[in-house]
Amino acid sequence: MEGFNVLFVDDEVDFLETLLKRMKKRQLNAFGVNSGEDALAYLKDHVVDIVVMDVRMPGMDGIETLRKIKKTNPLLEVIMLTGHACLEIAREGMEVGAFDYLMKPINIDELLYKLQDAFKKKSIQMEKIKHLEEVMISSKLPQSDD
Amino acid sequence: MKKIRNFFKSLFSFDTQPEEPENIEELRVAFRERYHNFKLLLSANNRSLEVMAEMEQALQGDRTFSMSFVRSSATSISVNVFRMIQSLQQLAPDKYAELDARFVTIEQSVNAILKQTRTLPTGRLILPLNALDKDMAEVAGSKMANLGEVKNRIHLKVPAGFVITSSAFKRFMDYNSLQVEIDRKLQSIDSDDIEDLYSFSAEIQQLVIRSRIPDDLEAAISGAWEDLEAESGGKITVALRSSALGEDAEGSSFAGQYRSELNVSFEHVFQAYKEVIASKYSLQAITYRMNKGFRDEDILMCVGCLVMVDAVSGGVTYSRSPVSNRDDSIFINAVWGLPKSVVDGSVACDLFVASRQPQLSIVRKDICLKERKFVCYPQEGVCRMDLTDEESTRPCLTDDQAQQLAEIAVRIENHYGMAQDIEWAIAGSGAIHILQSRPLKQIHSGETEDTAIDPELKKLLIVGGGITASPGAGSGPVYLGDRGVDVLAFPEGAVLVARQALPRWASLLTRASAVITEQGGFAGHLANVAREFGVPALFGIPDAATILKQGQVITVDASRQAVYDGLVPVLLSDTGVSKTCLMKGSPVHEILKQVSQHIIPLHLLDPDSREFCPAKCSTFHDITRFIHEKSVIEMFDFGKDHNFSERSSKQLYYRVPMQWWVLNLDDGFKEEAQGKYVTLDNIDSIPMKSFWKGFVAIPWDGPPAMDRKGMMAVMYQSTTNTALTPGVRSAYSERNYFMISRHYCSLSSRLGYHFSTIEALISERPRENYISFQFKGGAADTNRKLRRVHFIKDILEELGFRVEIKEDHLVSRLENHDMAHMEKQMEILGYLTLHTRQLDMIMTNPVSVNYYRNKLRKDIDTMKAGD
Repeated sequence: MEGFNVLFVDDEVDFLETLLKRMKKRQLNAFGVNSGEDALAYLKDHVVDIVVMDVRMPGMDGIETLRKIKKTNPLLEVIMLTGHACLEIAREGMEVGAFDYLMKPINIDELLYKLQDAFKKKSIQMEKIKHLEEVMISSKLPQSDD
Repeated sequence: MKKIRNFFKSLFSFDTQPEEPENIEELRVAFRERYHNFKLLLSANNRSLEVMAEMEQALQGDRTFSMSFVRSSATSISVNVFRMIQSLQQLAPDKYAELDARFVTIEQSVNAILKQTRTLPTGRLILPLNALDKDMAEVAGSKMANLGEVKNRIHLKVPAGFVITSSAFKRFMDYNSLQVEIDRKLQSIDSDDIEDLYSFSAEIQQLVIRSRIPDDLEAAISGAWEDLEAESGGKITVALRSSALGEDAEGSSFAGQYRSELNVSFEHVFQAYKEVIASKYSLQAITYRMNKGFRDEDILMCVGCLVMVDAVSGGVTYSRSPVSNRDDSIFINAVWGLPKSVVDGSVACDLFVASRQPQLSIVRKDICLKERKFVCYPQEGVCRMDLTDEESTRPCLTDDQAQQLAEIAVRIENHYGMAQDIEWAIAGSGAIHILQSRPLKQIHSGETEDTAIDPELKKLLIVGGGITASPGAGSGPVYLGDRGVDVLAFPEGAVLVARQALPRWASLLTRASAVITEQGGFAGHLANVAREFGVPALFGIPDAATILKQGQVITVDASRQAVYDGLVPVLLSDTGVSKTCLMKGSPVHEILKQVSQHIIPLHLLDPDSREFCPAKCSTFHDITRFIHEKSVIEMFDFGKDHNFSERSSKQLYYRVPMQWWVLNLDDGFKEEAQGKYVTLDNIDSIPMKSFWKGFVAIPWDGPPAMDRKGMMAVMYQSTTNTALTPGVRSAYSERNYFMISRHYCSLSSRLGYHFSTIEALISERPRENYISFQFKGGAADTNRKLRRVHFIKDILEELGFRVEIKEDHLVSRLENHDMAHMEKQMEILGYLTLHTRQLDMIMTNPVSVNYYRNKLRKDIDTMKAGD
């Protein structure tokens, strides 16, 4: 699968750094920020395909950030990765539209698979939209000619 | 955006729109999306089944797991079931809406169990010792409750004091939001990795110590301190002693896991309080709780504050022998100064033994060389003093004091009706103060007369003597422990050899095969924990750390007090003491058991039954089973019914047209198959190719010759079993269908009279790989059917499958192997699919059964050996 951009959001600086290093070693375009607020700011002016985000963070928590991301950027896939095993919060996250809710500690390969699966989902959606646009353009053209 | 999506939906809703040639690209995308959804569903299914299997294993109770394991597993299963529901609803919108409600009901039941918390009987932050008795452990912790009992009910001398209660502890934890943070960190660590635990322990202890004591609690402690000074008539210092609550489950002592702070002045009482609380997260306390299956949040730290006794001498009395329940002698361990050094095993101590018959009297005195003692500084703190010649050799109890201590032990034992472990101190005035009394766990000793050392073994003997701190025998390489950090390097199964029997070694006990120390007696904390975990321990071997060499393999016979060179198997087999299974019956195990009731049991067995519906899903497993079945059918029907030639089913062409049909879900063909056939060379599905290879590898001999009875059984079943009548079942099962993609294959086949499905996902992702094989029915009577199912079970288990049988329904699964291994197993399944047909006919004929079993085994071995 060709390269894609992943933003990691976690307030634990050490954890984040290690994860970024390991991801970059696996040829992934990985970036990191430490809070929900920073994530939203980052998304404003960077191209990101997938966000991997902690749930419990000081300031804006993961679920709230997820809500905001899904509102402005519904095609972006978000994976929750957390040390907080709680059924209710997990369901809330899934209902808001998270791609998955994973628990730390995570096997690095498993995380990589998840990223690939999420990216594939996103690509298919993008393709659908591309065709949709083509259909809309082609259906418009004859009308304007009239 | 929503508008666009709606428009899009209508464009692709296949139910209403017939296919138009110019839409072919869109159609391809739509099929790809469907398949991707299906794949996500399969991977969620796989993951939830995997975690369920882990849960089942944990339920066996022979390995340790923590509450975070229970929570993560439950959450992980729940999330994956939720994802399956989402995916199924994408595949078939609105069709299975009922599942949502089922999911929520189950989730809530699980959640309710996970969220159970202990309710505390009172909100009081402080209680005076005078107000306590043994029934108040919920408030004061068991140590302080028992001390209250000794003081107020047995009327023995106990220093004045108060307890900072369990409510105060909760207040402190809640005020600083500590539990959430601790749970989060606990989940992320690998409990088998001692290095992880070590840094976790350090972090949490720091966190606790940096936390603030809320104002109301600070005021309450200050008030209690003033009252205590008034009661004692002047300035005081205190001993702060941990008195944990929740540790008092049967058979657990929590001996020495927590910290005590001695001789603390008012200035430092708050800091000391936090330090005692922080010791709940010492490495040894964490590992202890994990190994005993305690929930972290259930252990509440009450802290006792007792006016300090400046002890002339102190020690620990056992009202009976801890290492043998046949011995009713009273054992008094004593040192000069504070009793601290008996408990932490750092100094050799005098031993006085009292016998109950004919009348209570001291019958033995082992006086040893006492090199140092601990005493109180006048202002605060404790200092270590080296002892002069006279004091170091003089017994630290007079005969009269020893006699009094024995009498006290009998009195407390009689009051409780069980053996006691009593800590005491003798003040300058000569008065004996009781500092602690708790039940003493005695070990059932086997044949005690068998204490002689086998003469054959004498030549291997390295050293003998010492004290049996915990009976039994163990063997392994010597590991010389010295500094605290050695804990990290300790190899599994080694024999720990240390100079002192320090409590911090306790965290190694689950990994050590035996323990030897130069100092320390059976009254120390380490000895207590060793007995509890069933680890043989031999204490008091002079120069052990010098005589024994790092890495040298030895066998320790703690019962007979001997250490041998090398491995002595004969000793290891007859110890009679087995490592106790600690998880079963523990709180965490109990919670897992309850939670699993809503997750693991499978009630939905037969897809053809009317019971196979969302309303009958009462566990997460039921939901996964239901969804999986339906998703396969949805995928199949969609492809089959849809008039899209690229995705319609093709008949397999292998030399001739076969009675097998193939439905390409995504990338299962090398190139598009024109017309009604697909040739085998065009198949690009890894699992299907392997299956086919095995299927055609060895020709079938034809139906087994059956006896007349078998024939009758088949004929009878064919006329009564409607499932065998064509046209009754769904289209999917009428023919033999492969649904494939490059990495996936689902095969539904009806060969002979039985029905089987094989499903496999095989790719470069070993963690996602699986093969599932299900098998049901047959034409013969139930007895024969069952025999065949068990016959197949044996074979599958030999191949490494996890197999379960309910009635005549066999479900089996193999997971997580690399691609090559999975391909080979698939090949063998192909072979079995062909060669087990109609075997039920001969199942009551043992000669034929044997013949076929051997034939199958031989063929399988040949296949395993091939390429």
